[in-house]
Amino acid sequence: MKLVSLHKSYLVETKRVQVLDGFSLDIHPGSITAFVGPSGCGKTTLLRLIGSLETPDEGSIIKEEGEDGPFGYLFQEPRLLPWHSVVANVELVLRPWYRDRTVRMQRAMDFLQMVGLQDYVGFRPDQLSGGMRQRVAIARAFAYPGRTMLLDEPFQSLDSHLRWSMVKAFLTLWEADRRTTVYVTHDVSEALLMADTVVRLSPRPMRVLDTYEIGTPREHRSLGDPEFLELQRACYT
Amino acid sequence: MNRSTWRTKAIVAASVLILLSLWQIGANLLDSGVLLPTPGTTFSAFTSLITQKPFSLNVLSTMGRALRSFLIIFTIGGVLGILSGFSPALHSLLLPILAICKATPVMSVILLAFIWFTSGTVPIFSAFLMGFPVMFVQVEQGVAHISPQLREMTKAYAFRPMDRLVHLVIPSLVPSMVTGAKASLSMIWKVVIAAEVLTVPRYGVGSRMQLAQVQLETAEVLAWTLVAILLTTIGDLLFIALLRVPARIRRHRAKIGDEVV
Repeated sequence: MKLVSLHKSYLVETKRVQVLDGFSLDIHPGSITAFVGPSGCGKTTLLRLIGSLETPDEGSIIKEEGEDGPFGYLFQEPRLLPWHSVVANVELVLRPWYRDRTVRMQRAMDFLQMVGLQDYVGFRPDQLSGGMRQRVAIARAFAYPGRTMLLDEPFQSLDSHLRWSMVKAFLTLWEADRRTTVYVTHDVSEALLMADTVVRLSPRPMRVLDTYEIGTPREHRSLGDPEFLELQRACYT
Repeated sequence: MNRSTWRTKAIVAASVLILLSLWQIGANLLDSGVLLPTPGTTFSAFTSLITQKPFSLNVLSTMGRALRSFLIIFTIGGVLGILSGFSPALHSLLLPILAICKATPVMSVILLAFIWFTSGTVPIFSAFLMGFPVMFVQVEQGVAHISPQLREMTKAYAFRPMDRLVHLVIPSLVPSMVTGAKASLSMIWKVVIAAEVLTVPRYGVGSRMQLAQVQLETAEVLAWTLVAILLTTIGDLLFIALLRVPARIRRHRAKIGDEVV
């Protein structure tokens, strides 16, 4: 995916705020790219542009072969329909893509099983814990048949233990189906453990400060390693 | 049952007894059945009313008009409320009509409607004009309160318009619809009976009230008023019972292990 000279500004009261001013970047297909930057720098705006939730003032987003089609989206909150059961929340997003209800239900059940929620399919979201709700959201995003996945700080509201278990659940599913993933976070350590590429961003108007390609396989990564300590230091600078 | 519930019930019962006593004392002091009959005379009139043959026909006619008005208000108010909530242009278009409906006195509506329609249609039309703004405004405001996060989620996951309506918009609007329906239902009974009093259709609680008033049968007027109060109360109770049905079905399904999808 190529982000080519993206411009985006908002009118805040009477002042025009330029969030993106000619932002360009290449995102490797089938990899996880993490955007790390200060709060309010425009990371979420960039994600919304990629996900077609907003349109850029100028510039374009060029998708590679195999990246066409819908996006799986993981928001900061689970965003589940509270009046529907867990399985219905997953099954619903599949309706435009699979005509047969049995196929949709089977796919929803398969992904819920992968995140360990097979015993909770009939529960409503308010009957689940915060971590379980986010796992439903992960199952929904992966069950969705897109080749691209967008993550907008989906684990930020969880405590550290739960966060790492969510990261693990996400990576297990991702390793089984490597989709082009764009991941926005302000947590450097999370980005370093999850991503193939970490992009450090500046405050508004957002631009790329550094790009780090991480060659170490995920299972061998440790935040205590000298390489990662150096990366963390560089990202926090 | 806890102590506070008992206490509340006892206070309500005492309040009813005080009102009945005041009514009896007032009737004794006035000593005129035409001005104010005693509670006993009124209850006698009530029992003879309900044993009269056209009683059920009168009650059913009023209930039929109220129910038809309610269904029309619920459907048109609900649909236009949703459309207007999403369309600022439609909102502006309907604004003057709503302002007129809200500000026009009920009696003016009934009198004008009586010029245009038959006596049986006037109560339905009048109740619609009075109840429609209540339902419409509630639903329209409900649209503004649909979660923007969930709206965005349905956009990101490319929900089809019908799926968005059925699985996001309508469930989000249930509380507003219930509030609007409840408020308009209470209003409908009053307007329908008032319209029947003025237009005197062949059958109807209001028509009987009017005839009793002309014949100075005050006890009968009060007895029909009691019927109207009972109809409103039973209508409200049925509505509340109806609202509990989905939760009961869910509980029943959960009990038998059926999957709720």
